[in-house]
Amino acid sequence: MASVKLTKVKKIYDNKVVAVHDFDLEIKDKEFVVFVGPSGCGKSTTLRMIAGLEDISEGTIEIDGVVVNDLQPKDRDIAMVFQNYALYPHMTVYDNIAFSLRLQKVPEDVIYEKVTNAAQILGITDYLLRKPRALSGGQRQRVAIGRAMVRNSKVFLMDEPLSNLDAKLRNQMRAEIILLRQKLDTTFVYVTHDQTEAMTLGDRIVIMKDGYIMQVGTPTEVFEMPANLFVAEFIGAPKMNIMKTTLTKEGDKYYVNPFGVKIEVDGEKGAALASRGISGCDVTLGVRPEHITLAKEGGIPCTLEVNEMMGSELHLHVFTEDGTRIIVRVPTIGLEASEREALVAGQKVNITFSGKVMHFFDPKTEENLLCDKKPDDEDIGQE
Amino acid sequence: MNKAVTKEEKAMRRHMGLRATRAISNTVIHILLIVISIVWLIPFIFITLQSFRIENAMPVGYVIPHQWGIDNYINLFKSDFPKWYLNTFIVAVVTALIQTIIVLCMSYTLSRFRFKMRKPLMRFMLILGMFPGMLTMIILYRVLADIGLTQANAVPGLILVYVASSGMGYYVSKGFFDTIPKSLDEAARVDGASRAQVLTRIILPLSKPIVIYTILTAFMAPWGDFVFARYVSFGTSSGMNVAVGMYNWLNNDMITTRYTMFCAGGVIVAIPVAILFMCLQKYYVEGVTGGAVKG
Repeated sequence: MASVKLTKVKKIYDNKVVAVHDFDLEIKDKEFVVFVGPSGCGKSTTLRMIAGLEDISEGTIEIDGVVVNDLQPKDRDIAMVFQNYALYPHMTVYDNIAFSLRLQKVPEDVIYEKVTNAAQILGITDYLLRKPRALSGGQRQRVAIGRAMVRNSKVFLMDEPLSNLDAKLRNQMRAEIILLRQKLDTTFVYVTHDQTEAMTLGDRIVIMKDGYIMQVGTPTEVFEMPANLFVAEFIGAPKMNIMKTTLTKEGDKYYVNPFGVKIEVDGEKGAALASRGISGCDVTLGVRPEHITLAKEGGIPCTLEVNEMMGSELHLHVFTEDGTRIIVRVPTIGLEASEREALVAGQKVNITFSGKVMHFFDPKTEENLLCDKKPDDEDIGQE
Repeated sequence: MNKAVTKEEKAMRRHMGLRATRAISNTVIHILLIVISIVWLIPFIFITLQSFRIENAMPVGYVIPHQWGIDNYINLFKSDFPKWYLNTFIVAVVTALIQTIIVLCMSYTLSRFRFKMRKPLMRFMLILGMFPGMLTMIILYRVLADIGLTQANAVPGLILVYVASSGMGYYVSKGFFDTIPKSLDEAARVDGASRAQVLTRIILPLSKPIVIYTILTAFMAPWGDFVFARYVSFGTSSGMNVAVGMYNWLNNDMITTRYTMFCAGGVIVAIPVAILFMCLQKYYVEGVTGGAVKG
């Protein structure tokens, strides 16, 4: 158990490509931090720098207060789970899990106890004498986790551990990782490109793009107050709907005018806009699909293009008169069968949303007009 | 209906035709392979039969001995042969051992480490390897003579020469190592292994075929070497290897008394190599093809 502190960490590859720019973050003891972002955003590189598998070009990484820049991975007291499991194919499951302990010259009886204990927690006791090739993907992933578990390391690193599993198994393993975290009670750094994993697992989420931190925050913070358009679109599935519109102020009240339909901005948001001295301007308006509803009358007229039946909800892909595509999430529980059947391609529907659920972004900088927190302002080490 | 049957019949005939063609081509290939095997085996059978011929020791125009016995083998061990055999064995084993270690370390380094001049170094070694080894013979002899590793001291001299350039034989094993995922190295390093432990505990156990291939090729070259061994031993019997020593028996003045002994020596020399290959054949084939195909 330990804190991890990254100060101005930079990664420049030999071909001068900068993979990570001035990465500042303090991960507190026993915290579960998730790095999330699209491919090539530098999340895995950052994790590998913490692990010691990549050199750090600039800046420092501290684990438990000790600068580890020049320490070998074996001297950093970390455990890591790899995306492709990286099990040793010539060893049995038992030997795979026992490998690190044997290197530490731990007595065999202690190894036996630790390995069987880990196997029991992960439900792989029956496979201890098998070779990895005789295991399924999920079982292999458990072995990889077991191998990391027995080390009792200060920091537990996971590099997209679930991305090779099928959707069902991924959900199951995700829940198991949450349980594992409770049992191990140690510091976790988890890398994923899947925002659902990030939202469900992380105490805090670090959203990255092109080597820069876009936002650091709790799942609620990044969902409810995305710092910029990138975060807004990346977090949440289906992604946030974006509309170009104008913000106008009439008296104390603010209005937006998407697709010619005037909608009043919620009082609280209006007050926040007023406190920032914003009176009227062009804005990029963001509304999440779950916050849009079908209107019986009024609202924005649209045409339904695709209706995806997801079970508990419908994902309606509609386009407005000017061709802007909008996704609407409609819970099936509130729909009559006849209403549901009427939602076919080509059907005219009206959509609306409340003034409470709007997000306003600067069309030029793409920053959230109501978000004060920028990545650089992230107070290192403070709650 | 009739038309359908005809179609079926046609398909069946075609199928039978294909089967027959395949059977014929298989038979031809097998006959060809058997003929090649026989041609290949003739010298071995000939030399083995001659080694048991005791009616006289000179070369003769027939294959099957008139009188059989093991006198040639007994005489062989009364000559300098055991000394030459030991020399060859020591040179081959020590060379195989050292060369294998160097080749595997070199291959691992070139496969896993990224350092400046890595690629130029590999290209340089490739070009260097294109020059025939014979070119260096005179200067190597001069150097060995200067440090006293020729003639009676030929064994350490030969080991030195064989081992010196072993790093250049990294291609096959590097190709094989390249196919082992790097994440295994990384996992082991995070698990607490040093680079050396990664090589010995992870990479080498996964590369058995290539390790065996490296050992075998490293053993075979000095075991059968003649040209350089002859130069370095330079007429001193105690420094000769089997190939050089036995070659002298084929001189005009010795061939009439030593020819069958030469054949017996040939059989003895082939035995360890044959045993080695028989035991390790599976790995050897995997090694030869493994590195190339996967790399």
